[in-house]
Amino acid sequence: MSNKRKLWQIFGPVICAFVLLGILFLVPWHFSGKSDSALFKASVSRSNNIFKGQEIKKAAFAKEYVPFYGSSELSRMDPMHPSVLAYKYKRDYKPFLLGGPGSQSLTHFFGMQGTSQELTDKKAVMIISPQWFTKEGQNSAAFSMYFSQLQAVDWILSAKNSEATRYAAKRLLTMPAGTADESTKSALQTLAAGKQISGQTRLLLETRQRILENEDDLFSSLNMPNNVPQIQSGAHKLPGTYAYDNLRQIALDQGAEHTTNNPFDISNSFYTHRLGEKEVARLKGSQKNFDYTKSPEYGDLELVLDQFASQHTNVLFIIPPVNSKWAKYTGLSEKMYQEATNKIVKQLSSQGFDNIVNLTKDGNKKYFMEDTIHLGWNGWLTVDQYVQPFMKQKNQPITYHMDNYYFSKAWANKTNVGPTKVSASKSN
Amino acid sequence: MINLQPYTNPRYFLIILVALLPLIIGLYFGKRFKIYEAIFSLVFLFLMFDGKDTIQGWQLIAYVIFQFIITFAYQRYRQAGKNKTWVFCLAVILAILPLTTVKIAAVVPTQVASLIGFMGVSYLTFKTVEVIMELRDGTIKKVDPITYARFLLFYPTLSSGPIDRYRRFKADCDKAPEREEYLDQLRLGTRYIFQGFLYKFIIGYVFGTIWLPQVAHAAQVLGNANGGLKISWALVAYMYCYSMYLFFDFAGYSLFAVGTSYFMGIKTPMNFNKPFISKNIKDFWNRWHMTLSFWFRDFIFMRFTFFAMKKKLIKNRIRISQVAYLVDFLIMGFWHGLTWFYIVYGIYHALAIIINDIWLRFKKKHQKQIPHNKFTQALAIFLTFNVVCFSFLIFSGFLDTLWFH
Amino acid sequence: MDTKEAVLDILNELTGEDLSEQMDENLFDNGLLDSMATVQMLLELQEKTGITAPVSEFNRDEWATPNKIIEKVESLRNE
Repeated sequence: MSNKRKLWQIFGPVICAFVLLGILFLVPWHFSGKSDSALFKASVSRSNNIFKGQEIKKAAFAKEYVPFYGSSELSRMDPMHPSVLAYKYKRDYKPFLLGGPGSQSLTHFFGMQGTSQELTDKKAVMIISPQWFTKEGQNSAAFSMYFSQLQAVDWILSAKNSEATRYAAKRLLTMPAGTADESTKSALQTLAAGKQISGQTRLLLETRQRILENEDDLFSSLNMPNNVPQIQSGAHKLPGTYAYDNLRQIALDQGAEHTTNNPFDISNSFYTHRLGEKEVARLKGSQKNFDYTKSPEYGDLELVLDQFASQHTNVLFIIPPVNSKWAKYTGLSEKMYQEATNKIVKQLSSQGFDNIVNLTKDGNKKYFMEDTIHLGWNGWLTVDQYVQPFMKQKNQPITYHMDNYYFSKAWANKTNVGPTKVSASKSN
Repeated sequence: MINLQPYTNPRYFLIILVALLPLIIGLYFGKRFKIYEAIFSLVFLFLMFDGKDTIQGWQLIAYVIFQFIITFAYQRYRQAGKNKTWVFCLAVILAILPLTTVKIAAVVPTQVASLIGFMGVSYLTFKTVEVIMELRDGTIKKVDPITYARFLLFYPTLSSGPIDRYRRFKADCDKAPEREEYLDQLRLGTRYIFQGFLYKFIIGYVFGTIWLPQVAHAAQVLGNANGGLKISWALVAYMYCYSMYLFFDFAGYSLFAVGTSYFMGIKTPMNFNKPFISKNIKDFWNRWHMTLSFWFRDFIFMRFTFFAMKKKLIKNRIRISQVAYLVDFLIMGFWHGLTWFYIVYGIYHALAIIINDIWLRFKKKHQKQIPHNKFTQALAIFLTFNVVCFSFLIFSGFLDTLWFH
Repeated sequence: MDTKEAVLDILNELTGEDLSEQMDENLFDNGLLDSMATVQMLLELQEKTGITAPVSEFNRDEWATPNKIIEKVESLRNE
């Protein structure tokens, strides 16, 4: 055998592999054909890969799916959970659950990149937990679980020089996940300095974007958790027709049935597995000094609002309470909680986000919470009383009047914000 | 600042392939471009130890200078025809001093201590100690400074081996291989690198990144529920999952290192040879992390037994081998790190190999009564596999997390 | 005593087998020799043939069969 032939035998397959890989990743495929059942499975999966990607979200939002942005409460899938109710009563919207433990405003802001076209002039629901507004704000380890290079590249390529852009770039630069990639990092530094990225960088990032999109398209739905059975089993417990009083009774029964081993009305499984007697004893009075009134999270929230404003998205905001019995036990200050809520409501309403459901005074209602800080049976049912009329509204572009003041440190640290009276409309 | 850690992602291989291309073309035409090779190594070493790792880079430089002083001072001493045992011992102690410091610093919980150490220090020490020992024996008469620097800083194997030997390396790096032979090396190198992709980036990823955290979490939750020693089925799953991860990740890395070496015309020895089909523990150590276990065999085990037999420290030959195994594996345990689980891992393997030896002797004596067929062979492999997996559970440190944290 | 005889004697003592019919058998592969036996062999060779073979000199490939061992011993003798 000649040496040339030998060389070809060694490297031929390698070259072929690279060519095939190039074709696979560089051609804009859109392998789509995402079936309805695949979208439904994705919408209740709360999978991090779905969160990081965009193809599935895009396909879903182009249909009847409405994003429900939130955090760990989304995983409390009892029969009154928004996904169960929409499934059982064949509503004309379907919640697409986005978020999990540790996902906060900054996570959502980057998660929203790439779907802005699909959400323009449409609706969204966002559950804002006052627990996000700690002194540190978004935890960087949690952030890295939801953050992807695709989000970053999408955002960088669409960013215009503005207060919001500079804020977001600086914020991302403080996250290890944001600086892990050298080319992303240098583009962020350019944007943070208020400069334009060069044509060459743009070209490079566009190629990356293509590769990442194909990667997302091919792999994001692999290994997705299947929560459909949980939704179906919840739906089984519901009556055939929707009647609030019936449902309320079921919520109360379910709540009573599942909270028998502790004095806090916390679900049994959460109490035994996540807390335990020892931990409970340790937590007594432990939250006395918690303060949600001063936090970088307020600026991060402004980024999310800015994104909604640019999409003219109609948003329903829900602010959940904490379990009152638990709060009393741990010493969490009700006054502080209300102050933080006032501040959030003020930030929303002063810029035109008026669909606010403030549930923060409902923490003492029976079976409103499933455990310590997460909405459950009765709480979810109450949420539904606001979601229903909201979803009935016609889709129309909303204009907001944004104020850069909310990005400032002055606002982040401001205290003594008074209450604002606004509320979303409620059915019955 | 660009910081390139070897073999971390597929893009790295493209970069290194392009950088190696002139060298590969040269070798194909029978020429070894030593200056280009030196520039390549320095640039990639710089990229490995720059940015956030600069402090490691300085330590590497200091380390190499230190080792050069010891090695060449000892060489001079030997060339003068002197061969005192205490001088030899002093040289070895000095050579392992930096590594000892690093290992101690790793368990000292202070800010400064956490900065001590650099990637590859463990593996470099094997090479320096080997050279000193061979100078003592006279099997290496003269160490060439440039070859020695190339040997120590050989880029593909710097961070985690395989551990090459000076005389073997020297023979390769002085010449360019015959074309026929080099084509064969290119063929094998390509195969090894792609096998490495499969091992490290696919199989190792599934076991280590996808499954292991889930199994670990389950083992922790179930362990806490069970109490006592916190044993659960999930812990058993963790043991197998970790063992698979450890093999595929490390074997994948080793294949990358060997494959890259082959491209550079250096036949770095292989590190793994299907370890999970070992029929006993001794066989296992001839197949698992081979360059390490052979190093320990040649420079600890055999030297110790040679010494003990010659000086007649212990009369009984069997006793000598047992003590030698304990010494051998204890040192290996300490080399891994100064924590209880590495040391227990060492003792565990020493005991396993001692028991295995007893069994083999028994079997030899009663050859006629003990059946030997396909079934017993399969049983032997199964037993060895489980004994080994259990040792990896100890090695993983997961029991430490489970029990004490 | 000539080298061949001496080597075979030592091997016989170590392995319990007469290897004169299997001069090219790989003794490590078939498990007759291990590290321990090797060290013993080196010591015995030192005693009976007067060569000095340090452990570093020992390379399994070069000492794998009775024939190779004999060859090695002779080359060391002539040094």
